[in-house]
Amino acid sequence: MDAETATAVTVAAAEQEALISGSEAVAVASRLADVDVITAYPIRPYDTMMQYVAKQIANGEQDAEYIVAESEHSQFEIAKHASAVGARALCGSSGVGWCYAFEAIAVTPALRLPLLAMVGNRALDDPGAFGTEHNDALAARDLGWMHVWVDTAQEALDVTLIAYRVAEDRRVFLPCAISTDGAFLTHSQALVKIPPRAWVDEFLPRYDRGDLRFHPDNPITIAPQVNEDWLMEIRRQTDQAMRNARGVLEEAYRDFRRIFNRDYGNPFFEEYYTDDAEIVLVGMGTLSMPVKVVIRKLRAEGQRVGFVRVRWFRPFDYERLGGLLSRFQAVGVVDRDFSMGSPYNSGVLANEIRATLYGQPKQPPVVSFITGLGGREVTIPNVREMFEHTRKAAETGASPRDTLWIGVRA
Amino acid sequence: MATALTFKDFAGQKAMWCPGCGDFAVLRALQEACARLALPPHRIVLVSGIGCSGKITSYFSSYGFHVHHGRTLPIATGIALANRDLAVIAAGGDGDGYGIGLNHLIHAIRRDVDLTYVVMDNGVYGNTKGQTSPTTVAGTITPSSPSGAVEEPVHPLRLALAAGITYLAQGVSSDVPQLVRLIAGGIEHRGFALINVLSPCPTYDRLRTYQWWRARLVNLDEEPSYRPDSRELAVEAVSSRDASIVGLVYRAPGRPFQSRLPRFRPSPLASERLAPDGERARRILDARYAV
Repeated sequence: MDAETATAVTVAAAEQEALISGSEAVAVASRLADVDVITAYPIRPYDTMMQYVAKQIANGEQDAEYIVAESEHSQFEIAKHASAVGARALCGSSGVGWCYAFEAIAVTPALRLPLLAMVGNRALDDPGAFGTEHNDALAARDLGWMHVWVDTAQEALDVTLIAYRVAEDRRVFLPCAISTDGAFLTHSQALVKIPPRAWVDEFLPRYDRGDLRFHPDNPITIAPQVNEDWLMEIRRQTDQAMRNARGVLEEAYRDFRRIFNRDYGNPFFEEYYTDDAEIVLVGMGTLSMPVKVVIRKLRAEGQRVGFVRVRWFRPFDYERLGGLLSRFQAVGVVDRDFSMGSPYNSGVLANEIRATLYGQPKQPPVVSFITGLGGREVTIPNVREMFEHTRKAAETGASPRDTLWIGVRA
Repeated sequence: MATALTFKDFAGQKAMWCPGCGDFAVLRALQEACARLALPPHRIVLVSGIGCSGKITSYFSSYGFHVHHGRTLPIATGIALANRDLAVIAAGGDGDGYGIGLNHLIHAIRRDVDLTYVVMDNGVYGNTKGQTSPTTVAGTITPSSPSGAVEEPVHPLRLALAAGITYLAQGVSSDVPQLVRLIAGGIEHRGFALINVLSPCPTYDRLRTYQWWRARLVNLDEEPSYRPDSRELAVEAVSSRDASIVGLVYRAPGRPFQSRLPRFRPSPLASERLAPDGERARRILDARYAV
């Protein structure tokens, strides 16, 4: 290698920084991952991703088949079947758009098609709102999709690469939804480190469906009508794939740390000031911003408080998370979603946490909160209030019998 | 004493479309058409889809239903079946009607449901900031097609005629008097009526402006040789020049779905003791609008 080539390699190996939004970070990741087929249908706030992809393709920076479909249903179907023939595929939506694709969404895991979908989390209409609410993605929580909630644009980029690696692993072959909070993440820009393609190539192997590839040389039928003869076995296989995903995720994060030199710690959840914490809040997504600010203020006042941000919701790391949370004197769970009529009338995450703690020898009181619906800001006073309620539960040792709505008009 | 209706009787919230939006003209034409037909607001249901144009239910004073993306026609069909005393008008954009909800159009035409469908066709997804829509002309540069749209557009007039429509018209936002006539004709028509309105989007479509349309459009209503009751002439017109004609394209006697249902009740479901005070409310409203 001559000196000039060596310099070029060094330059190429350096990460570049760019000021981009969370949506744009997913689009950049799709370029780095050399995604083959990208389908789109505009809906706010997800559409910022599809437009950035269109721009990258038009600029000659990205080589992908790009189709603006006539609806979300078609969009997801096109991506799904591109995945069946062996193409790396990406789609996405928000709110009711995601729901309109539900028929395709529901059948994708059983077909073992590892496509990725970005969900720009948005309140379900009616009543109309463009802001964040997690019920859109959570509507598909039980179906065999992997679900991850990211917090920053950097994490959006990194997790997109990681998600492809895990989804396309033959032990898994499951689709993955990447949730990005509408507006707070989809539309806010931050400096993001963009890794060179060489690192991504080292991290992310080619998508190989092997003998499951839909191809004239490999005559197979997918999605046959199996009735009661085989349905249960297929469900069991999908369940096994989701179980396998836990270990594959760990492997992927380990390799990611080695190649990209960015360490996310435990892949499944992020801990913030938990080491000596007496009480913690638990939540997902960009909620971490106001919570972390309040934690720093309360710590300055001498309060031992912390935060646990659940990153991977499916698969859910109930064993380690349960072990961690059982250490605290009380746990407050903040849902940016609702599950009407559920136990304690709480949100979805709160009941996941209750179930997670049930298997633990020591169970701290759980206080469930619903806040920030429809994109309403979760303010500093709101977070303080939630910590106060959690503190009270720690003092009394009792869980409230109902869920507290924070920041709602009477 | 009640006076004759004017467009002002149908004024809803202040319209918040972009300055110069063609949808203002459609709103005004719809208001004028209803006034001309002496249809008071409480006898009208306006159903609209998602998109800029879908806001029209807020801006038009009548019963309104702003529905999910693409679902105007099933909902309007439900209303038309439940209460035939109402004039049912559906309104939306080209994305709503010719994209995500296109299948409903074919079936509403096939059934000849007695309702009027006004599509504000601007060839762009304005509400999500200007991406390609089903009627975007191939080659158009948009945020979702920075190198130019690669697909051919949907041709709504051809599609509707092929599906067997019994009232088909096209208007343009720069000619409100003609729009009033076309919409009023659609409401009077017993059967399914489609009025496609070329409605410029000055924010995201810098090409197809009012002037651009004016230079291209031919008015069928003023063509002495054109007869809208001739299917042959209509087929010829929409096949060869559907993007450059305005006026009443085709009209045939309708055979409304409602009249074909074997066990359809003689009186509307809505008047069958579902609302105890309905009669009184109707008398008050009838008196107010001098019906």
